[in-house]
Amino acid sequence: MKPGEDAPAGAERCSLCGELPVIRMSGPDRHLCAAHLIADLEERAARTIRERELVRPHDRIAVAFSGGKDSTALLIILSRLLPAWDDVSLVAITVDEGIAGYRDDTIRAAEAVTKKLDIDHVCVSFTDLVGDDLDTLLVGRETQACSVCGILRRKALSQAAHNAGATKIATGHNLDDEAQSVLMNTLRGDLPRLVRTSDADSHDCFIPRIKPLADIAEKEIAAYLFVQDLFPFLPECPYTRHALRAEVRSMLSSLEQKHPGTMRNLIRSKRTIEKQVDRSAISEPLRCCLQCGDPCSGEFCQVCMLRKSLGK
Amino acid sequence: MNGHAQLFPTHTMKIILPDATIQEVPGDPASLLVILDRLGINPAEVIVSRNGKLVPEDAVARGDDEIRIIRIAHGG
Repeated sequence: MKPGEDAPAGAERCSLCGELPVIRMSGPDRHLCAAHLIADLEERAARTIRERELVRPHDRIAVAFSGGKDSTALLIILSRLLPAWDDVSLVAITVDEGIAGYRDDTIRAAEAVTKKLDIDHVCVSFTDLVGDDLDTLLVGRETQACSVCGILRRKALSQAAHNAGATKIATGHNLDDEAQSVLMNTLRGDLPRLVRTSDADSHDCFIPRIKPLADIAEKEIAAYLFVQDLFPFLPECPYTRHALRAEVRSMLSSLEQKHPGTMRNLIRSKRTIEKQVDRSAISEPLRCCLQCGDPCSGEFCQVCMLRKSLGK
Repeated sequence: MNGHAQLFPTHTMKIILPDATIQEVPGDPASLLVILDRLGINPAEVIVSRNGKLVPEDAVARGDDEIRIIRIAHGG
């Protein structure tokens, strides 16, 4: 704490130094100041990458970069870790779904960050992919927004990553996202998806996906950016309210507040199930889409089925 | 502090909500957890700054502090 700076009554100090804290964290319970929060998050992301061998020499990592907080934190952390890796490069890929009043702001934020970090930036759009923006595609089917968007976004991202020569795709999924997915897949009774792994050891047909922030809570990421004046104050996606994820997010964050560790416990359960389950017994074998040739589990891939249902 | 000042606090705390609306409340000392609870906001879904600086939710606000509550989930 600086001389003359009074700590308000009731305030804790950083558990590692005398500075005023900016966050209270659990598992273990501690308060951290801005400098120690930044160091803590970057070290945890580096540890995740190291322990799961997410990055290898000569990798070209395509970072799925929406310009929102998670992907902004991911890009910053990867760019800071980059000098320690042997011949690894980054390219940021932004997918413009075409969501009026939302995506334009995030794309501007994305351009500003990549320029500041001096990282290659590629922007691709749903209009390039299927001829229409998401708003147009969703007229009369708004409740399907997240599934339609998810399918097209994955396709646009993997296509752009392939074109950029990427060997990995890094996404900004955080601990909260991962816990929400476990609960959503459980609620849907979707065991194949529950135990599906998209880590760097996934099938050769796909560019492996990595999630370096998977052990970091959403709130910690927000704080990490805020203390560096990098928090993107952006509007919320207008389609979020239609999603099951929004309900699950609210439920889980209430449980986490009352019972700290709930999210980590959910993820731990998933990993235990993952180890026990014979994936080949519950999942369809991979085939090639009869329409486009992409790998899929049925006769046609999700993108081609979606194109057909949209009349595209 | 005399009894008169305690009964009629002269400080007003300004709370900026996630939707940018502003609430002004008496500046009696209160934990941010209590303030968030009164507003029906889950602390896990927000970060909070006090006078422009990020603080943990167990910090105390008082007097004419300016509290800003920032929602962290954007989607996409």
